[in-house]
Amino acid sequence: MSDHPISSVEESHDPEWFKRAVFYEVLVRAFADSNSDGTGDLPGLVAKLDYLAWLGVDCLWLPPFFASPLRDGGYDVSDFTSVLTDFGDLGDFIQFVDAAHARGMRVVIDFVMNHTSDQHPWFQASRHDPEGPYGDFYVWSDTDDRFSEARIIFVDTEASNWTLDPVRKQYYWHRFFAHQPDLNYENSRVQEAVLEALRFWLDLGIDGFRLDAVPYLFEQEGTNCENLKQTHDFLKRVRTEIDRLYPDRVLLAEANQWPADVVDYFGDSTVGGDECHMAFHFPVMPRLFMAVRRENRFPISEIMAQTPRIPSGCQWGIFLRNHDELTLEMVTDDERDYMWREYAKDPRMKANIGIRRRLAPLLDNDRNQLELFTTLLLSLPGSPVLYYGDEIGMGDNIWLGDRDGVRTPMQWTPDRNAGFSQCDPARLYLPVIMDPIYGFQALNVESESNNTSSLLHWNRRMIEIRKQHPTFGLGDFTELGSSNPSVLAFTRTFGDDVVLCVNNLSRFPQPVELDLRRYEGSTPIELTGRVHFPRIGELPFLLTLPGHGFYWFQISQAEE
Amino acid sequence: MAPHQSGPPGLDALLIEWLPAQRWYAGKGREITAVETISSMTLWVGDPQMHHVLVRVRTTDSSVEHYQLLIGMRSRLPERLDHAGIGPLPDGFAYDAAQDTDLTTVLLERLAKRATVDGIRFVREGPVRLDTSQVSRVSAAEQSNTSLIYGEAYILKLFRRLSPGINPDLEVHRALTTVGCACIAPLLGAIEGELAGEPVSYAMLQRYVANAADGWHMATTSVRDLYAEGDLHADEVGGDFAGEAHRLGLTTAAVHGDLADALGSRSVGPEESRDVAQQMRDRLAAALTVVPELLPYAEGLRDAYDEVAGLTEQMRVQRVHGDFHLGQVLRSMTGWVLIDFEGEPARPFTERRAPMSPLRDVAGMLRSFDYASRYLLADRPGEPHLEYRATEWADRNRDAFCTGYAEAAGSDPRKHATLLRAFELDKAVYEVVYEARNRPTWLALPLTAIARLAG
Repeated sequence: MSDHPISSVEESHDPEWFKRAVFYEVLVRAFADSNSDGTGDLPGLVAKLDYLAWLGVDCLWLPPFFASPLRDGGYDVSDFTSVLTDFGDLGDFIQFVDAAHARGMRVVIDFVMNHTSDQHPWFQASRHDPEGPYGDFYVWSDTDDRFSEARIIFVDTEASNWTLDPVRKQYYWHRFFAHQPDLNYENSRVQEAVLEALRFWLDLGIDGFRLDAVPYLFEQEGTNCENLKQTHDFLKRVRTEIDRLYPDRVLLAEANQWPADVVDYFGDSTVGGDECHMAFHFPVMPRLFMAVRRENRFPISEIMAQTPRIPSGCQWGIFLRNHDELTLEMVTDDERDYMWREYAKDPRMKANIGIRRRLAPLLDNDRNQLELFTTLLLSLPGSPVLYYGDEIGMGDNIWLGDRDGVRTPMQWTPDRNAGFSQCDPARLYLPVIMDPIYGFQALNVESESNNTSSLLHWNRRMIEIRKQHPTFGLGDFTELGSSNPSVLAFTRTFGDDVVLCVNNLSRFPQPVELDLRRYEGSTPIELTGRVHFPRIGELPFLLTLPGHGFYWFQISQAEE
Repeated sequence: MAPHQSGPPGLDALLIEWLPAQRWYAGKGREITAVETISSMTLWVGDPQMHHVLVRVRTTDSSVEHYQLLIGMRSRLPERLDHAGIGPLPDGFAYDAAQDTDLTTVLLERLAKRATVDGIRFVREGPVRLDTSQVSRVSAAEQSNTSLIYGEAYILKLFRRLSPGINPDLEVHRALTTVGCACIAPLLGAIEGELAGEPVSYAMLQRYVANAADGWHMATTSVRDLYAEGDLHADEVGGDFAGEAHRLGLTTAAVHGDLADALGSRSVGPEESRDVAQQMRDRLAAALTVVPELLPYAEGLRDAYDEVAGLTEQMRVQRVHGDFHLGQVLRSMTGWVLIDFEGEPARPFTERRAPMSPLRDVAGMLRSFDYASRYLLADRPGEPHLEYRATEWADRNRDAFCTGYAEAAGSDPRKHATLLRAFELDKAVYEVVYEARNRPTWLALPLTAIARLAG
């Protein structure tokens, strides 16, 4: 695609863009329907790009939009190089990428490396013709007792990681659903085929991949089959290919592991990282919720203290909510019981090992808490990843199956189908939210756009402030202790761009005294209103915060 | 330079006014009749200047106390030190040098160099190199001493009221640091000297536990959360503290184990139990003369103490914390840390150093849970549903603490019910006297506990 129309993204060569970017996860199906068939599509998304640019989004992350039988929200891919017909075609996708780039927004797409759908032609060929070219594309076995140390991830639905295929009369390996056989990466032809698919999308101009479920690519007897060296070697190979041919593109690893294990996915720190550019920091998120419920900072402080340094060319991705449940794999059993008790009062709110709720309902729609959580998301180390709809405080529908409750249509207007689609309401892929609190009649982009005190405007302003201070993306993180356990205070420092963040995790007003002597003589300037606070002296700096309140201060140079 | 017998001329007269206003001055309520400098040594010469001064203070009740002062002298006191001023003297303006970061650095430098100045020994413990670039601030939390926090690295506790003998806080930290106890702030150094021909501890330097909050703040945060949820029970609210209380029990038992390893333990027979009971009876008798409100419970209390006197089994005794409560523990990034092994400041060193049952510490913490649960109610009488919640919270966390303690110690403190109850009552009697003197409206708090345990 060398004859691509020149767009603003291509003009700005910037290998570190992802460290400062605000990401936005958008489900094509759920965002906007251009052809009134009840399902969102790529042209619909294109029509809403101006809104996303207005909000301040730098990069869109699209979960899978590939051809798929849709038994796992598109993570069951049946063709790695075609678009699901519901969403449009390749031409629509190219137009979408160009339109996003023209607005200065980049595009990262999901790529499911670990497995395919059982409907994928590779699997069909493999099961019907064990001796054929695809016979060895999957992990087959005569018995179901190999790799017995690997845990079962979807404990709700799967009894084993092996399923007997009635056609080939052998067991196939799957770390997720039985209809998602794992690819056999020991086979070099599988590696070649996957690399070819990656190149296909890179050539279309995308800016990176979120690599789904990367820890599980290889298997090895006697291990838990996660994070194996072979898996890292293959990721290094992918990275080498990208660095060689596709500058400024990023790899974002989804590895739901403890940070000490996740850092391995950044690769060799002596060269600034040679695997993935980014990885999600999973344990931060449940601990934010836990800390606010406990009204004390230690759940957050502990995980920040346990988070290792990452290579210079890398960045964490952090999020409050996404299309999956609020994952509790990365908390201890005690903590998991605690989270279930606190945030999933109805058993239907629980999924696998997590909580299937959107941000606003998780926080009882409390505006102060919504602001506090978003503030933490935007100020803790890492690039924030917003989830579509959370910027307006959308609700969920726990009566829908699996994780669909948080995948309902985006609410644009108070009109029919929330302005998402012109179709007959019965035809919608999922019903819009209609309850009295989160229903689209009251809660939608149009009404929040017209109201400058809305959550939407607040989010937009905070994103704007974040972007004025590169330290939020690039700076060091230093926690400032205080005797008040309910207050989490820290600085972000990037050269002389210093921001002090003070957060009250309690519902009650709190005082805090901070030792700011290293900034003695400077004047803290509050970032939302540019109010000058008293100069920092030798004595502890006293602040009072309202319940769930926060401050962002710019610490200017000391005045002479 | 030989020690001066007198400090900067005219200082003693200024101190008569200045001393009673200091938070760490122990003789509150008694008028000072005389202050006299018994030794003065110059730690830093120039402008500013720093003197290490020991004074003898006599009060109207003819008691004598010794205090350690760091006196700064400047030709002119800058505005930032206004709050530290003592008064003008012929040689310059005298002030509290602990507040002056230009001078507190000197203490750290002397410790780094292991210096000895006129009989003041700056001792280092272990091989750790000290970073002398750290600047101090005065801790706001300290009550009876003055603690200087250097950056986020060290904390130097200056003992203010001095008694001859090694301060138990220093002694215990030294012993626990030697055995590698992981649940304390390790000792890095000490400043020592002599008083009346006996060794005396001037100060101790420890690693600072950065980004920590004390147990009292942690616990009351949880209680506050509970009170706000009128329809939820203690085990249902988000701010549940039982996990922390359980870990605190584990930590306490681990430190007790280390204390026994470092300073020994032994089994004692029934005669020791009788002594313990007798001390409790004596304290009760003294308390009854001060607080008549105790009278209705006197018989129940004596019965409880008699049960201790009647114990026939052996009792383990060892060095303990001695003044154990939620304010003496810090929640750090890696778990709980026990601080301040000075023991009850009101008692003489010999008594504080005596081996005793570790159940005394357990009882102290159990009383502290009771206090934490009701602290927010002291000025909110007549809210029975909150009283109920408070009891629930205290029971839950006392249990969690004991369970944690039992897991690490191998024996459950609740199995020694007679002794544990007596220690709790003894502590509550002490609280009754304290509240009657200082916060009469709080008297009901320990009295309720006594009624429950010995009613």
